[in-house]
This record gives sequence, C-alpha cells and structure tokens, in this order.
Amino acid sequence: MKPTHLFEAEQLVAGYDNKTVIQEVSLTIPSNKISVIIGANASGKSTLLKTLARLIKPTSGKINLDGKSITKMPPKQLARVLGLLPQSPIVPEGISVADLVGRGRFPHQSMLSGWTKKDYEAVAEAMRIMDITKLANQNIDELSGGQRQRVWIAMALAQQTDILFLDEPTTFLDITYQVEILDMLTDLNRKKGTTIVMVLHDINLSARYADNIFAIHNGKLVAEGEPSKVITSSLVKDVFGLDCIVVEDPISGSPSVVPIGRHHVNNAYTP
Amino acid sequence: MKNESIAFIMAGRRQRHRRWVLVTSFLVVLACILCGAMLLLGNTIHPVKDVIRALLGERIQGVSFAVNTIRLPRMLAGVFAGFAFGIAGDIFQTMLRNPLANPNVIGITTGSSAAAVFCIVILHASGAVVSIASVIAGLATVTLIYILSRGKSFSIGRLILIGIGIQAMLNALISYLLLVGAEQDIPAALRWLSGSLNGSQMHELPPLILSVFIFAPIVIMLAKQLSILELGEQSATSLGVNTDRTRMMLILSSVCMISLATSTTGPIAFVSFLAGPIAKRLVGVGFSNVIPAGLVGVNLVLAADLIGQFAFVVRYPVGIITGIIGAPYLIYLLIRMNRKGEL
Repeated sequence: MKPTHLFEAEQLVAGYDNKTVIQEVSLTIPSNKISVIIGANASGKSTLLKTLARLIKPTSGKINLDGKSITKMPPKQLARVLGLLPQSPIVPEGISVADLVGRGRFPHQSMLSGWTKKDYEAVAEAMRIMDITKLANQNIDELSGGQRQRVWIAMALAQQTDILFLDEPTTFLDITYQVEILDMLTDLNRKKGTTIVMVLHDINLSARYADNIFAIHNGKLVAEGEPSKVITSSLVKDVFGLDCIVVEDPISGSPSVVPIGRHHVNNAYTP
Repeated sequence: MKNESIAFIMAGRRQRHRRWVLVTSFLVVLACILCGAMLLLGNTIHPVKDVIRALLGERIQGVSFAVNTIRLPRMLAGVFAGFAFGIAGDIFQTMLRNPLANPNVIGITTGSSAAAVFCIVILHASGAVVSIASVIAGLATVTLIYILSRGKSFSIGRLILIGIGIQAMLNALISYLLLVGAEQDIPAALRWLSGSLNGSQMHELPPLILSVFIFAPIVIMLAKQLSILELGEQSATSLGVNTDRTRMMLILSSVCMISLATSTTGPIAFVSFLAGPIAKRLVGVGFSNVIPAGLVGVNLVLAADLIGQFAFVVRYPVGIITGIIGAPYLIYLLIRMNRKGEL
C-alpha cells in the first residue's frame, strides 16, 4: 500500500495574468482516497487542480506536501510523489505506446541511462493495469480515443506516484469508456492505495466514484465531504444553477441528480 | 504473465534500439567516406598514400598545399557546421513541435550572417570580433522573434510567420551591405546568403570547433529532458522537468553553435531544416534524434558540397545545392500545414 501523505492548500489564490480565478481556497486532500472536484464550466475547478499540481504559480497562499512547500521541493523529487495527467496531452508523432508510457519514468531515471529493470517492470505493470499490453509496440497514431486515454493514464501510472491528479480523464469518451476508465482508477486506488484527485464533468459519475467531493463555485470552495452528504438539490442549484431532485442511484446507492428542465416535466415537479 | 509482458515490451524496444544503432553507425560510416572523398577529390586526384602522408605532416610537393591548406579546412568546416546545423535544427523543431520552426526558416542563421557581413564588409574586422558579433546577433534574433510572437497567447504558427518575415528583412540587409561594401564580390555574396565552404581557412575554424565540443555534449545530455518537453508544458512540469531552465539552456547552446557555424560558412541553406526530419525518418521515434540529426547534417553538407564541386561544369557553393533540395520540402510542409489549419 502507498504511504499516507498530508497534502494541503492554505488560503490559495491563483489565476492567469491579472485575472484571479481561485479565491482563498483552503483544503486538505484525503490520503489514499478518491476525491473529485466538481463545478460548472469556468468555475475554476481545472485551474484549482493545475495550481495544486504546480502548473500554475499561486499569487498567494501555500501548498504543502507533508509539511513542506511544493515550490521548494526539487522538481524531480516531487514528481516521484505527485503526478498529473493533463486534459489535452500532446502526442509526439509516430511514437510507440511502450516508449510513450516509458516517458513517465523520467523522474526515476538519471541523465544518460537507458531503461533499467525497474523501468521495464513499472511500464509493464502500468500497461497491464490499463489493459494495453498488446498495444505496446504499436504506433500511438493508430489508436482510438479510448485506447489513447488509457495509454496516457498508463504513462502517469508508470511514474508510480503516491498521488495522482487527473484533469477530466473521461472527457470526449463514450459512456462505456468513461465507466471503464473510472473502474480502472478505482482498482488502482483500492489495490495500491494511490490518492486520486480528479476533475470530472459528470456529476452522477462523480457521486458514484468519489470518496470525497470538492464543490467549486466562482473560484471558491463551497462544499466538501462524502458525496451522500454534499450532493443535495440546493448545492446543485448553487453550484450549477440547475433545479433538480436528488434520488438514490439504484446501482450504487450514491446520490444521483435528476435535472428539472422547462420541458417534459410532470406536474408534481413544476417549480 | 508478468514476465511475458515485460519480455514483449523489451523485445519491441530492443528492436527499435537496434534500428537506431544500425542507422547511426551507417551515418558515421557514410560521413567518414564523404570526408575521405573531400580530401581525395579536387583539381588533381593524388594517390591515397600521398594524401595520408601529407595529412601526417610530411611535405610533399603539390600535395601538401592542396590537402592541408585547401581540402582539410573545407572538410572540417563542412563536418562541424553540418553537425551544428543538424543538432540545432532538431532541437528547435522538437522543442517547438514543428518542423518549420528551425533556425534556418525563422531567420536565426540569417541574423548571425548579417552580423558577420557587417563586421567583415563594413568594419573590416575578422576573427573573434566576427564570432562574437554573430553569436550576439543570433541570440538577439531569437529574442526579437520571441517578443514579437508572444502576443496574448503563444502560438507556434505566429512565431514561424514572424520568423520568416524577419528572415526576409535580414536577407535584404545582407544584400544591401554587400552592395555598399567596397569588397563585395559574387562568391562572398553567395557565402553570406546561402552558405559556402569555398575558401575555408584553418585559422577561422577554432571557434566553431570549440563551440561544438562544448555545446554538443550539453545538448546531448539534455536529450532526455527534450523528449519530455515534447509532451507539452503541463506533462513536462508534472514529470519534474524544469521547463524554463531546460529550454533556456537548449536555446543558448544551439544558438551559440549555429551562430559560429554561420560566421564560418554562412547560413548553409536548409540543413538545419532538413536534418531533423530526415534523421527521424531513418531512426524512428522513441530514442533521441539529436545525434542522428547532427550526423545527417554532416552528410548533407559534405554530399552537397561534393555535388556542387564536381557534378556540374560550373562549381556551385554548397548552399545552392542544399537550397535546391530544401525548398521543395519547405513548400510541401507549408501546404500540408495550411491544409491541417496549423498556419
């Protein structure tokens, strides 16, 4: 099992150029659990994730890993503990799947060395978890969107970090692949104890797969905790501006949001 | 199951590595053959034995001068300039993820060339002054392109177009300097506009050779970082690459090498543009392309110079030949990028 880490942000303010997006967010990421950041478009959920993953320099506030500021840690050392899968990673043209997954080993390698036995083991394991071993020597340009996404996650897994951030890992995927990816990430969390923090678009899948929810609205953290406590019709109204009822997901027992639109609404629910 | 999958991955990777080693060795052998041809061929073809004895320092009437004073400096200039252009081109292309974004197309070599022309033709300077001025001009050109292309958000398409514009302006400046310069003559003009190995002299070479020995190892050591930078800013940062520092070191090293190469041979047209993509075609993706690109650069320059010297009735400088090869490829890439909407 992965060791526990204390990852906390304190009074975090961040944004782009002169525009402040994240406003005084303080949070502690539950170790060895799956956390999902939810929020409307442009609420700052992705910016928050990027700031926590040190891709954006905060204007003020602190981000500490086990009591040490992440900006003061050597980048390679931090990269052995904390990994991130960006929303739209860039593929070098013509690279093979195994070589791409192997690039996740960078923080573990020295300057000129080739792959060690450990590197091969980590790459093979990551590819096995994501079920892409057969594709190892194929060119990534030949893969489907769902397969590619698994390759990217495998690259992040090969990094073997204790904490893994994922920025919308299921966007642009069919529902089948979305569920598949979330199942694989849950396996990873249950088997290895990897702490997972991700931004997801789908609130119902978030409620089902998360141990912990962070709800962001206008750059502020408005609610956090277990999905069953956090996801209520009033929170959905506040965060997404949507009228809804929350029912129990018959499959998982987690809360499930049923929107109330303007059409196709039975009289009982007309606002 | 576990060991099988490791073996499967290892087998594929070994195969790709074998191809890399084979192609790289082939490029080294080819470069050696071309070096030999550079020393052997000329107005008079001397016996191999005499050429070797002359190289070893023996004075042989007629041979020593041709080999040691004319052909050897010409060959060395071609080897080191080709290596520098090839490596630097590949680094820019990989870093900016676009084959058009190389020092030749975006005008960095033209900047160095303009500085060299200004020092030589107007100031009548030589040696260290020319070297230093061309390095400064190369760095200034990069900085200018970067500042102009920054805009609201960085775009590689804009950087390339601005670079092409700057290159055109600097070329006009070179033409003007050559026209007003008292010593202007056609061979000099060709050298500074498209590159030539004609008249390379031994005493001009040390800055170029030294820079390759200093900076090529630095960029080869950064090759792994470069392969991570290629995955984009976000992935590179989360994999622990100090992106700003790495980029800065790669740019500084590349520009120093190509500026000194340019101040020695002129901006040999399209070598830094062609070497990277040709090398990648040959060795494949997955292992560093830096060394193969340098070797392709050497082979391109030497082969083009031999063709220019001996294939036609009139002797053409190397840059004319590489230009003939490179220009159609440039047009092809522009059309392809335009179709994909990248420009």
